[in-house]
Amino acid sequence: MRAPFRIIFEQRSETPRYLSGFVPLVSVLAALLAGAIFLMATGYSVSETYSNMLQDGFFSSRGLTDTLGLSTVLICMGISAAFAFQMNLYNIGGEGQGYLGMIGGAWAGLALGPHLPSVVMIPALLLIGAAAGAAWIFIPAFVRARLGTSEIVTTLLLTYIGASLVNHFIYTPNSYFRAPDVVFPMGRTVADSAKLTAIGSTRMYPTFFLVVVLAVFLYWVVKRTEFGYRIQVIADSPRAAQYAGMNARRTTMQVMLISGALAGFGGATLIVGEFGKLDPGITMLGYGYAGIVIAALARNNFAAIIVSGILFSGLRVGGDKLQITTDTPIHIGVMLQGAILLFALGGEAFRRYKIRAVRMQAVTQ
Amino acid sequence: MNENIWILTSANAVTIATTLILAALGALFTERSGVLNLGVEGILLTSAISSFLAADSTGSIWIGLVVGTVVGSLLSSIHATLTVILRANQIVSGLALVIFGTGLANFLGKPAEGRTVTTIIEPIRLGPLSDIPVIGPILFTQDIITFGTIAFAVACAWFLFRTRPGLELRATGDDPATVDAQGLSVSGIRIRYTMFGGALIGLGGSWHMLAQSAAWHQAATTNGIGWIALALVVFAGWHPVRLIFGAILFGFCLRLPFTLQAEQITFIPSAFMQMLPYLATLIALIALSRPGSKNLRGAPKALGNPFVRDER
Amino acid sequence: MTNTSHEVVKGPHHSGDAAPIALSAHSITKRFPGVLANDSVDFDVRAGEVHTLLGENGAGKSTLAAMLCGLYQPDSGYMLRNGEPISLSSPRAGLQHGIAMVHQHFRLVERFTVAENVVLGSRNLSFTLNRKSIDDKVAAVAESYGLPIDPQAIVGDLSVGQRQRVEIVKALYQGAEILLLDEPTAVLVPAEVEKLFENVHAMTAAGKSIVFISHKLGEVVEISDRVTVLRGGRVTGHVSGRGTTDTKELARLMVGRDINLSTQRASHPTGHEVLQIRELSLESEGVNLLSNISFNVHEGEMVGIAGVAGNGQRELADTIAGLLSPTSGSISIGGAMATDRGPIAARELGLAYVPEDRLGMGLVPSMSILDNLLLTRDRRIIVDRASVRPEATRLIEQFEIKANDADHIARKLSGGNAQKVLLARELSGGRAATKLLVVCSPTRGLDVGAIETVRRLLDDARSAGQAILLISEDLDEIMSLADRILVLYRGAIVHETRGEAAQLATVGAAMAGLNTEGAA
Repeated sequence: MRAPFRIIFEQRSETPRYLSGFVPLVSVLAALLAGAIFLMATGYSVSETYSNMLQDGFFSSRGLTDTLGLSTVLICMGISAAFAFQMNLYNIGGEGQGYLGMIGGAWAGLALGPHLPSVVMIPALLLIGAAAGAAWIFIPAFVRARLGTSEIVTTLLLTYIGASLVNHFIYTPNSYFRAPDVVFPMGRTVADSAKLTAIGSTRMYPTFFLVVVLAVFLYWVVKRTEFGYRIQVIADSPRAAQYAGMNARRTTMQVMLISGALAGFGGATLIVGEFGKLDPGITMLGYGYAGIVIAALARNNFAAIIVSGILFSGLRVGGDKLQITTDTPIHIGVMLQGAILLFALGGEAFRRYKIRAVRMQAVTQ
Repeated sequence: MNENIWILTSANAVTIATTLILAALGALFTERSGVLNLGVEGILLTSAISSFLAADSTGSIWIGLVVGTVVGSLLSSIHATLTVILRANQIVSGLALVIFGTGLANFLGKPAEGRTVTTIIEPIRLGPLSDIPVIGPILFTQDIITFGTIAFAVACAWFLFRTRPGLELRATGDDPATVDAQGLSVSGIRIRYTMFGGALIGLGGSWHMLAQSAAWHQAATTNGIGWIALALVVFAGWHPVRLIFGAILFGFCLRLPFTLQAEQITFIPSAFMQMLPYLATLIALIALSRPGSKNLRGAPKALGNPFVRDER
Repeated sequence: MTNTSHEVVKGPHHSGDAAPIALSAHSITKRFPGVLANDSVDFDVRAGEVHTLLGENGAGKSTLAAMLCGLYQPDSGYMLRNGEPISLSSPRAGLQHGIAMVHQHFRLVERFTVAENVVLGSRNLSFTLNRKSIDDKVAAVAESYGLPIDPQAIVGDLSVGQRQRVEIVKALYQGAEILLLDEPTAVLVPAEVEKLFENVHAMTAAGKSIVFISHKLGEVVEISDRVTVLRGGRVTGHVSGRGTTDTKELARLMVGRDINLSTQRASHPTGHEVLQIRELSLESEGVNLLSNISFNVHEGEMVGIAGVAGNGQRELADTIAGLLSPTSGSISIGGAMATDRGPIAARELGLAYVPEDRLGMGLVPSMSILDNLLLTRDRRIIVDRASVRPEATRLIEQFEIKANDADHIARKLSGGNAQKVLLARELSGGRAATKLLVVCSPTRGLDVGAIETVRRLLDDARSAGQAILLISEDLDEIMSLADRILVLYRGAIVHETRGEAAQLATVGAAMAGLNTEGAA
């Protein structure tokens, strides 16, 4: 038995420029289509679900500002993942580093907040959050650089440990982070000097612009600096890096710590912004995991992450409101994220290869 | 201290080890063919809820198990298509599967939230063996799936090292170019074992749901055991029999927090006890990668690399 | 469609006793993106003969062989096996027709035993493996052709020559009637080549057909009953009759013009010592990779290190370049200590290093020529590409590199052009003016034109007074370029001779570890 056709993969020597934007776009559409079929099959209304999602995610002023607000942390998680991906390091524990950023930020806001003015407190809180995120990735980074232990599973296991830590701080009676005098376990709100005011009547905070600037800055670092050059060499050929006298271990440490710090920073933006306290609800939101999808969809391009971050944010915002507007489970949002990434991965093949089916060579005489 | 509780913990460790063994065997077969499937956690969850819904609506646990197994295989066929045929990055594809699977499971599980199955798989008592004090209840009073799984793991070792398809499978994971030159289909072998591995993971997830978990509770149902299973494969040096011992050890770590709670041992905060299995896995992984460690030598050499013949 | 004339040289006729044609290929065309690898090629092989495919690197020999065994499928053309049309969709189909290929890069699973490798993929293997019976069967097949191997040995532990034997046994075990040997001598020392030729004769005597693929004229003339010459994917000539062939004529058919790979030696007396190595040893995991090596390289001198792959050449080069730390001993470059000070310090002393692995070590494949020039230079905190661009453009011109511009990606360069970029960077100096050039296998895999250029560049550098350490497995290259030759065997220098006085047999024997006369 032989198939009459063979699928041929021809490596493209030059990727047509239009495909770089086209493939992600088609992936999103294909995922929405697959989602539609799935919704129909499970007996939910497609038009109602999608129109509500789009309306609440993008096409209303409330929705759009909510989307930009949520995109702050998502873009942060995206650049965190992408920064490590640049060097073929798979930090998939951005989620857990985000928890630690939140713990660190909340601590700073509670302990230092009452003593410092806003102008010092806010940067200090964000930096302490970033440092906590970096600390959370230190062990995976160290063993990866020294022993070569795969960072994939170690960073992920630490996410589960981080979640337990968050729960511990909130559910333990008399915990420093727990709101006193309230029976229901919840976080204690940080000092006012540690909180930013939202822009107008929206749920957007100035941190959004900070994160966008950060993404652009990282883009510049990778393209134009010696550090970025080193990352590219080590990522592409470790032997060439050794040949050129580059210290791959140190660079591995640096890149992973920066990646962790970015995720921690993302967690801390939630303290100065929407949450204002350590909230165990964070462990149910999966922002860190979304960051991986955002980075992969943007193919680790920091500028493109801003776009894919906002797109995903809209899907989340719209998806989360489905609970109120329809009876469709809100998890359709997460599902679509996964589906978009799966389609984008498949689409990647079309970007890299010319794929065509050819008829099997018949015997000719 | 109540001795019975420790016996129960150990018995439960063997029970939970069954899920771990099945999931890890699935990952092992996949990896032995050279494909890394990080999507275990997503597959476990989706299979768990699918089997629950199937068992719930038909009233048959066995139908539930079959449905969960098929779902696991189908989900991993997505991974196989993307990574083997379309040559996508295996790591990203696996992660996408986790995210997709988690979303899908929670979506499907919404109507089932907090509910339990009414029938359970009855344990089998192995005659007088079950009456032996301590080890009787731990080792010889388990259900058929647990007994079957342990026997199956041993059979898998035989299959890997003593049969022709096992030889071809190991060769594919080590040196796909050689297998290709022998006229065997690398893609065919990889797709086959990725789907077979997914079926085992799916069975593990279904069994976890139907025989162990009290109720469907979103991602908390599997709570990261997919990742522990992946670490377990490394721990076992890609050998099915060593997997059994590792799984029981990790199973014990997973049950310990509940036991300590029941024993009202509170000097360790419960949150820290909940970290135990993840912490143990983390330490094991680091210890295994120290220089000269024997376990990593079992790693398939081509693990994670797409195979491309015509590239020039 | 130019150059369609086939230059056919007729040798003495064998038609009287000609065996039937076992396999023939007609009008085979195969295209790869951007390359016409085979253009309407005809080829056939008779039972019991050795038919050689001769051509330089990139001529299309391996592509044709890959189609003959089913690994690739031709875009057009057809094949006949014993006169019957066949279509090979896979190597398995090839095996079913008794066609097997012994690849240049062995296709063996290193972790498996010899017997496991031999039976892998075999069609008549039972579901369960009976090791005893498999071992016996493999040993029996091996012995019947005078190819002794231990079926229980782990392939990873075997020498290159032994692995090749395993490959041949594997083909025979699977019932191959036609064996395609792809550059089988490339990795062997002279003594092993002789042994291989004995095996080839044993196989042809048993009626097997051998398709011998090579670019080495001397051995082609020795082993072949017939020769087909390929150039640029086209057949440029057929020659038949063993030992009657003129190598000059074959070379012209192969290259399309007269080639000049003549002997070149230092034209003037050599100067000061630039590289001094004293009692250098390197040990890793209890294995002696280099033991007690001492030698010097002078200004304007080229010292050649000969040896079979894996005898410490790479380690020696990497240690001199500061990439590995020696266990003991010292290295000085230009009179300054360079031992264990790292690659950057070595470069600051005037070292330049062209590693064997061009793309992946010497060059970063995904980066542009410009960025690759920056690899071994001082880059500051913010990379200033603009100031290097003019130099990059100048080097592209000076070294005649075929590239669009300085932004051309290294991966997309041909082997010869990649090597030129590497040499351009290393010879032009980076952190310091180049005093010492360490080059490893500089012409491996290049076509003749590029080989000529690379050799000329090395000779020019020598004339300009640079000290050159040439490390190569290509003995011919070392014999025709080096002023002094050292033979490395199991990490030690076992033989030293002056270039013009070198004897192929003596050096070859030293490479095989057969004699230690004249040890340094």
